Amino acid sequence: MVFAIQKSRIITCDLFPPMKGTQLGEFEELVLLTIARLYNDAYSAAVVEELSRRLERPMSLGAVHRTMQRLEEKGLVQSRFGQATAERGGRRKRLYTVTTAGEQTLQQVRQIRDELWAGIPKEAFGLA
Amino acid sequence: MKSESKRPAPPQWAGKLIERITAPHLREEVLGDLDELFFTRAARLGVVRARLWYLLDCLLLIHPRLWHHKQEPSSYRITDHQPFFLHPDMLKNYLKIALRNLWKSRGYAAINVAGLSLAFCIGVFLFLIAYQQLTYDSFHQDGDRIFKTYVFSNDPDKPVQDGSMPLPFAPALKAEYPELQVTRVMTGRKSLVEANGKYYDKLINYTDPDFLKVFSFTLLSGVRETALTELSSVIISQDMSRDLFGTADPIGKSLRIGNAADGRDFIITGILADAPDNSSVGYDALVRIENSPNYKSDKDNWDNDSHAVFLKLPPHVDEATFEGRLRSFARKYFPKPLAELSKRGAKADAQGDVFAVRLQPLSDVHFNREIAGNKGTPIAVVYVLLGMATFILLIACINFINLSIARSFKRAREVGVRKALGALKSSLFVQIWSESALICCLGFGVGALLAYFLLPAFNAQFGAKLKLAMVLQPGFIALILCVLALVTLLAGGYPARQMARFNTIQVLKGKVTTERPGVLRNALIVMQFTMSCLLTCCTVIAFQQVKHLRQSPLGFDKEQVISIPVGSQVNGRQVLGLLRQRLAGDPSVLSITGSNVNLGKGKDRVTSRGVVGFTYKGRSVSTDWLLVDYDYLKTLRIKPVAGRDFERQYAADSTNAVLITQSMAKMMGEPNPVGQMLRDDNDTTGTRSQIIGVIPDFQLYSVGYEAKPITMHISHTEPINYIFVRVTQSSLAAAMENLKKEWNQVAPQSEFIGSFLNENVDAWYQDEEQLSQVLSLASGVAIVLSAIGLFAIAMLMIEQRTKEIGIRKVMGASIPGIAMLLSRDFIKLVVIALCIAVPVAWWGMQIWLDNYPHRIVISPWIFVIVGMAAILIAMATVSFQTVKAALMNPVKSLKSE
Repeated sequence: MVFAIQKSRIITCDLFPPMKGTQLGEFEELVLLTIARLYNDAYSAAVVEELSRRLERPMSLGAVHRTMQRLEEKGLVQSRFGQATAERGGRRKRLYTVTTAGEQTLQQVRQIRDELWAGIPKEAFGLA
Repeated sequence: MKSESKRPAPPQWAGKLIERITAPHLREEVLGDLDELFFTRAARLGVVRARLWYLLDCLLLIHPRLWHHKQEPSSYRITDHQPFFLHPDMLKNYLKIALRNLWKSRGYAAINVAGLSLAFCIGVFLFLIAYQQLTYDSFHQDGDRIFKTYVFSNDPDKPVQDGSMPLPFAPALKAEYPELQVTRVMTGRKSLVEANGKYYDKLINYTDPDFLKVFSFTLLSGVRETALTELSSVIISQDMSRDLFGTADPIGKSLRIGNAADGRDFIITGILADAPDNSSVGYDALVRIENSPNYKSDKDNWDNDSHAVFLKLPPHVDEATFEGRLRSFARKYFPKPLAELSKRGAKADAQGDVFAVRLQPLSDVHFNREIAGNKGTPIAVVYVLLGMATFILLIACINFINLSIARSFKRAREVGVRKALGALKSSLFVQIWSESALICCLGFGVGALLAYFLLPAFNAQFGAKLKLAMVLQPGFIALILCVLALVTLLAGGYPARQMARFNTIQVLKGKVTTERPGVLRNALIVMQFTMSCLLTCCTVIAFQQVKHLRQSPLGFDKEQVISIPVGSQVNGRQVLGLLRQRLAGDPSVLSITGSNVNLGKGKDRVTSRGVVGFTYKGRSVSTDWLLVDYDYLKTLRIKPVAGRDFERQYAADSTNAVLITQSMAKMMGEPNPVGQMLRDDNDTTGTRSQIIGVIPDFQLYSVGYEAKPITMHISHTEPINYIFVRVTQSSLAAAMENLKKEWNQVAPQSEFIGSFLNENVDAWYQDEEQLSQVLSLASGVAIVLSAIGLFAIAMLMIEQRTKEIGIRKVMGASIPGIAMLLSRDFIKLVVIALCIAVPVAWWGMQIWLDNYPHRIVISPWIFVIVGMAAILIAMATVSFQTVKAALMNPVKSLKSE
């Protein structure tokens, strides 16, 4: 091979070491959950529909699509092309599924929430 | 499809727009999602709302992520095996490669370095001039509290601002507002100074003790508070101290100012540091104003304006407040001009004043020619200089960018191979950019050296007093570094970025080199030529205007006349008499006369003016009041249009006879002025002068000054300051020598500084002359730089088209045909540049010319000639390359590869 690089001589320098655990934004979490819920039919338009129905507020395709791209870059979901349909003008949809990493992250988030809930003293809400 | 036309459809244009900007790998899914959402919403909410939603979605989709290309797959990243792109080893490598590359393309590097260094050198000069002007008077402490007073009168003809003040003004101001520090500054003449039995000519200024409190010139020895308290004290400059006393301490020594008859002794009480070059107030020596020649007669005269007044406000008082307070002051002390203005129907200006005493900030003093009586530099000139410096730097940068871009195609293959071997965009960018940075730094270094070595020549040529020490200030160095950084980033960064983004596969296939229309490159060439054509047009027009000014009829014959400033050592009237006697028999001397005002600017550099204003039969008249002597008209070859010249046989001629110019007659409203008596309506007892003749108007002062009618008189008592001698044409130099010899006999204690009148008149236009020289230097440099740029671009362009030319030749194209074909592209650009530059130049120069009362009409030929010249230069530059390319043997150019 032309570029037989001797590994030992290369000095790597990480400017941005990976963070411990993956940070998940609130909206990212919602989208990730929706993808998990839609399971086999999770693509941008479907997530938009589902989320705007549940949250009872309109949702822009751009925001959702970008979030899904970001999730994929983080390795929390993976995508593949699905079927083309007539109402899409014969275009294929990109279907997303949650990866194991994604599932773990979701579990972590949930665990933190649960712990926080469990730690709330009864008086905190009871008295209010 | 007609069957589907009833189906609702989303807005087509928005979809098209999104399709266009979306990255290819996202296009399908995004458009599909948009459509699907539209149809589900149309079913649920109706078509109209679905459409709105569609548009909103399209709008919100716009985001860099939409058009960003796909990231590298996360499983394999090149970065994992790459060193950090700014690692020291990498930097070393960049430098090595850069040096090798520059060495390999020495011609290209040399052109770039030459262009940049030339531009930088000129830029430094122009910036320095501008800097020196802009920092005029900025060295005083609390400079923002120092002001010069001026009187404003809203004359119905034209509002007037005048910065010269009558003698009682400052004491009155001080009496009304004791918290002020006020000083009068009366610029005297060069006077005779005697110390230790030796004589010197020094500039004596008259001032007040507050001078040292208002201004912060450094007092090197002496006591600041008391240095000028005595009437017989004198403060001298360091320079004068060196001249008079060498290294000895001059404090307490005495010197004599003035000639034998009216000299006075002064005791030196202080040494003041020399005034910087950029100071409006200059001096050799300072004495109390009470010693000034006309102090006794004028100290309570509010009508004789003779000097400037500077004041320093207390720290908490601002300019506007104090100007407000000066209103009552003006009413109290200037009732006469106020009444006169009201009588003439003057109205209040925007600030509600008919007549007011106002303040001019010190920083403005140098730039306001009206208040200063036509001294100083118009601020526009400074901006022109700064603009030119920027233009030239910009042209050099454009050259640099263009050359780098053009060359980048040559190096595309190198970039491709590097990329294939795994070079990252970032490291490629830094590597290519480091070459540019190297050239930039080299250019700047050479430029700095050039500036250093050429500065003395520049100073000598343009009479500037620039010092390189001015550059070595933190602010200036920071500015230079900023410019350097900007140039490097702009000129080096853009091509480097372009190259780093080359598509590896296409480059290695050899595609990139022939594509690319080079719109940017063409735009830059157009811009470059626009700027140089603009500069050239302006220069040519400015030159013509200066020439026009010099050739405008003077009204007198300036040839073969020698003008001798008498100086202060001797009595001009006596010397004139003696010279007349001694030269009476000399055949080469035609006539001799004297006056109190020089014509043109002589070697003593003094200009003085005496203007008299009065009312004549109800008309207000303002005229130059000129002292002459017999034979003035004869010497200057002015022919009276009516009446006669002064003649010795009429005794009255020397007491109450005057000659007036035609414009004076017009101003007086007298169709036949000869024989009329000239006098002030208000002054019935005073002297009356009879008009004995009328002469045509002539130019007593340069065109920069307002031309006034002239009234000439003869006197036996008033001092004569200049002697004019008309000599025969045959022996001008010999006549000057002869005159010098005679002068040394007649006035041995005074130096002979005679000069020819035509030189004097030329000196009037020195400022304009120097400005047009600077302009032509700048435009010359601009043209040279543009030509260099074009030359190099043509070279690289043709190198790329070698094969094409070879094929054309094989197919039977003629050599001139090929040369034309190659040149045409460049000529087109120059023509476009001309189309932009000409209207701008025409418009700008119209505005500039409107400042001059005697202005030229811009001839279209200027633009035709400049245009032709530009095209010719471009043609010559390019054809050097094109002809070479056209002559090349096609066998050779097609054989390679």
